[in-house]
Amino acid sequence: MTTGPTGVGIMPNVTEGCVADAKSGVRLATRSDGASHGDDLRDLTSLAVQGDRTAIESLLTQLRPMVVRYCRARLGRVSGQYHIADDVAQEVCIAVLSALPRYRDMGRPFASFVFGIASHKVADALRSSVRSAVPTQDLPDGPDEGPGPEETVVRYIEAEHARRLLSRLPDNQRELLMLRVVSGLSAEETGNVLGMSPGAVRVAQHRALARLRAMAELESIA
Amino acid sequence: MTAVHPRRPARRYGPEEDPALAETEAILGALSRREPVAVTDEAVRLLSALIDDVDQRCSSVSITPSA
Repeated sequence: MTTGPTGVGIMPNVTEGCVADAKSGVRLATRSDGASHGDDLRDLTSLAVQGDRTAIESLLTQLRPMVVRYCRARLGRVSGQYHIADDVAQEVCIAVLSALPRYRDMGRPFASFVFGIASHKVADALRSSVRSAVPTQDLPDGPDEGPGPEETVVRYIEAEHARRLLSRLPDNQRELLMLRVVSGLSAEETGNVLGMSPGAVRVAQHRALARLRAMAELESIA
Repeated sequence: MTAVHPRRPARRYGPEEDPALAETEAILGALSRREPVAVTDEAVRLLSALIDDVDQRCSSVSITPSA
């Protein structure tokens, strides 16, 4: 997985992307102030397209956690690590940066542009069989504050189970749940990305969850 | 052409008012916003586990691809 130098130089302030930061609530548009936030994002995108460094950094700060979660959910772990998924997320960010000067607002939200790129990058990664060289983490200098080994294993097994079930959903339902639930988009935002109305998203997500429940129930019986 | 199939139930709710859709929206919305959600079944529990897994802090994420 190689990337060109384009864009790397203007990314330093969005590094060390910890996905947990997304929990603090940075969203593309919220339910309460969706319109104004959406307008803000459009303004931000417009400035970023013109090369405004601050706008570019702000835009990536908002988008990156969602892209990382999307890639992690789609690609899963390799050798217990998310290196491949995180690399793909990084490639998506670089591709977005590279494409920014050519981006034209055609009325569709910027998120649909970003997740369109993410979807293609994930598909490329899934097609690629080059998954052998997995880098190891540096040894920590201090005590590990993360979950213990037992909790880590349980979480890993359950997450893999969820991925396995999701992989058996039709593509459109899987993509919808990935964006809506895992990436953390609202129904409106998910609809924007997938070209559906919010009402259609709510109907489709209900069907997807019902199907997921049925599969989970069948597995628990078997 | 206003005939309705005799066995087809009349639609009582629009997509916004259907209680089942609203319940799903409440569950998935809470998961999406990373809010606590009552785990009512295995599917919701597994989705919640997947979210926990992909959200976990990853201090080694760097700005350049590692491969």
